[in-house]
Amino acid sequence: MSTQRVVNHLVSVALLLLWGAVLLYFHMSGRLTHYLPPDGIFRPMALVAGIGLLVLGIFNLATIGADNADCCDHDHDHDHKHDHDHDHSTCGHDHSHDHAHAKAACCDHDHGHNHAHKHDDCCGHDHSHDHAHGHSHETAHDHAHGILEESGPLGRTVAICILSVPLLVAAAMSPDQFSANAITNKGLYNPNYASTANSTQFSLRKEEKAAPAAMTSAPLPPATTAAAMPAPAKSTGIALPESALPEKGTRVPGSAAPNTASVATTTLESITAEKTAAAAKNAGPAAATPKSYGTFTLADLKAQVPQSKEGNFILEVPELYYTAGDKEVQGVITGQPVETTAQVLPEKVNNADGKRLRIFRLLVQCCAADARPYSVPVEFADKAPPIKDMTWVKIVGTMAYAQENGQTVPLVKAISITETTAPENSMLY
Amino acid sequence: MFLAVTPEPSRMGDVLMAFLSIVFEGAPYILIGTVLSGFIDAFLPAKLIDRALPRNKVLATLIAGFLGLIFPVCECAIVPVIRRLVQKGLPLGCAITYMLAAPIVNPIVAVSTATAFKESVKLFQWSDIGHPIALIQHLVEAAPMTLSRLSLGYTVAVLAGLLVIFFKPSQILRTKIANSIDEARAQNETDTVGHTPLKASFDSKLIKAMRTAMRDFLDTGMYFAIGVMITSVFNTQVNQEILDRVAGNSLIATPAIMLLAIVLSLCSTSDAFIAAPMASFSSAAKLAFLVYGPMMDIKLMFMYSGVFKRRIVIGMVFGLLIVIGVLSGPWTQMIQYLASLKP
Repeated sequence: MSTQRVVNHLVSVALLLLWGAVLLYFHMSGRLTHYLPPDGIFRPMALVAGIGLLVLGIFNLATIGADNADCCDHDHDHDHKHDHDHDHSTCGHDHSHDHAHAKAACCDHDHGHNHAHKHDDCCGHDHSHDHAHGHSHETAHDHAHGILEESGPLGRTVAICILSVPLLVAAAMSPDQFSANAITNKGLYNPNYASTANSTQFSLRKEEKAAPAAMTSAPLPPATTAAAMPAPAKSTGIALPESALPEKGTRVPGSAAPNTASVATTTLESITAEKTAAAAKNAGPAAATPKSYGTFTLADLKAQVPQSKEGNFILEVPELYYTAGDKEVQGVITGQPVETTAQVLPEKVNNADGKRLRIFRLLVQCCAADARPYSVPVEFADKAPPIKDMTWVKIVGTMAYAQENGQTVPLVKAISITETTAPENSMLY
Repeated sequence: MFLAVTPEPSRMGDVLMAFLSIVFEGAPYILIGTVLSGFIDAFLPAKLIDRALPRNKVLATLIAGFLGLIFPVCECAIVPVIRRLVQKGLPLGCAITYMLAAPIVNPIVAVSTATAFKESVKLFQWSDIGHPIALIQHLVEAAPMTLSRLSLGYTVAVLAGLLVIFFKPSQILRTKIANSIDEARAQNETDTVGHTPLKASFDSKLIKAMRTAMRDFLDTGMYFAIGVMITSVFNTQVNQEILDRVAGNSLIATPAIMLLAIVLSLCSTSDAFIAAPMASFSSAAKLAFLVYGPMMDIKLMFMYSGVFKRRIVIGMVFGLLIVIGVLSGPWTQMIQYLASLKP
């Protein structure tokens, strides 16, 4: 191996180790939680890739001496052939020198050329033969060559920089959270509260699809609750994101009646389906003792949503967001105390009197780059308190709905707002 | 080097944040793709591809569009694999079709699309197996978006592959890669005429595979890093509300959402979750987003440019944009029409 080749090899190994180390560092330090969702495949994949890159790097470091493999095994054959094929006896010249060239050739491809030179001054012998070999061998090497091997010193430096500098700078200087600017750019002030309404726009038989899904999801509320439902229409009014879907909102009583309970649980399917389902599981037993609220509908709400000690319904911002899409849900939850933890930014829509703040959570599917803010306005009786942008707060308030800019806006009428620490997973998944 | 105190959020921080998150999301798949590429290089005999594929180029291309069902790879992993397969003698038309189709026509993407659009295949019945029309009928009713996405993705990929048959590899591929195909062929021929055939040991093949994987990772990783740097600037610094404003205009909505697909560089396994809640866009526009995104975006532009000539990459950007943009509307209507047919 030439010196250049050794250097390239070592640099390549170093870059692999760098990428692997950054991946592992982020996984081990927990910083990865700010970048990839906890469930799903991406976080484990990052760990596997970190280990994989280190293994690949170390393997290549350990086998750096394996010249023959690097230059494809036929190099050996090639060298031997040369020694035997040429009729060198006439000039009796240096065989060793042929070897040397063959070695250089395995990296630089110029061996055909070199041969020609060497042979010229010696004897006019079988030269075309050498060329043929030269070609066939170049091929084999060619596809083993990467960006570092095939570019000049400048290209090589650029490639090494691109592969290392952004990653290192980002790893060292990323704040692990977005600024208000990015969140605004991602659509903070452009909410479309009826949005999931269209997510099934493409479907053609909505009722059928909704019901079977319900059968498999989450535990059913107690049978007594379902049986005692005064009217099917009311019983379907369980607050939670998916209920914003039109097929739920406009559910035909006939389809809902036979198994009210299952329809109610349908409402749990949402973008945060698992999370909500888990919440429903926790809240399941509570439904058996509805006392302070008179109606069954509310009991069902309680069955689905965990409550704080004070009796506030603990909901995530996207859940509040989607309640605006469903009239029955609004009917139930309007005026109810809710509690949520979120980040704060100033409200810039319908806030002439400065009474409002906007609270948001980021919802992530695969990685932080695809984060979308889900936000609702919070309204105070007087001027909104001065809270630093992006602060994490716990808000307690009552739910209200207003018609603004042609859509139903869910509004939290604030009772209290307290600064708090960021939850373990700063983004919802 | 790593600061004890996390820096305050800033515009620069937003870009770095988006950069890292896409790198963490994509790097594992690039590694998978490049290790696969290394093993193909060292262990797959070039003649095997020749033997396995049908002689008829059109038929071979049609089959290549379905390979993603057997070897599901997303778009980050496919680029190094495709490069290696082409060098191993996979016809270019098949390669392009596989490359464009695999990130869409694969089971993982089908499931994620159906999940995101809340479609289920509940209507599927085993008794349908013998009755293709009833089967399609039920699938169309149950999962129209998933089916539209897979079928349009397949169709566009096959069209692109068929188009490529009319060109020479040297017109499509970067000179370096085109040359290596010719040389590989020449080597194959010399091999049969008495040149010592490769009789490498497993160990040395493994070493070779690992070295190829390393180089391919850095090669692909470099283009990936450039693409992700640019995409993370767009991702965080450009106000995407502009897009929502044009959503109502059916003429502009589709190109606008496809532009978003380019800019966001989402993974094909997750883009359906982004598209589904975009209420203001029509189904046709969303379909265009879901088919175009896995075939073309900023990171892919750079990754492709490591394999294809620059003007081919530019041609793909616009060609795919036009074809998918034009087809997405009628395609949506066709699927709706199929669903409305009563057997």
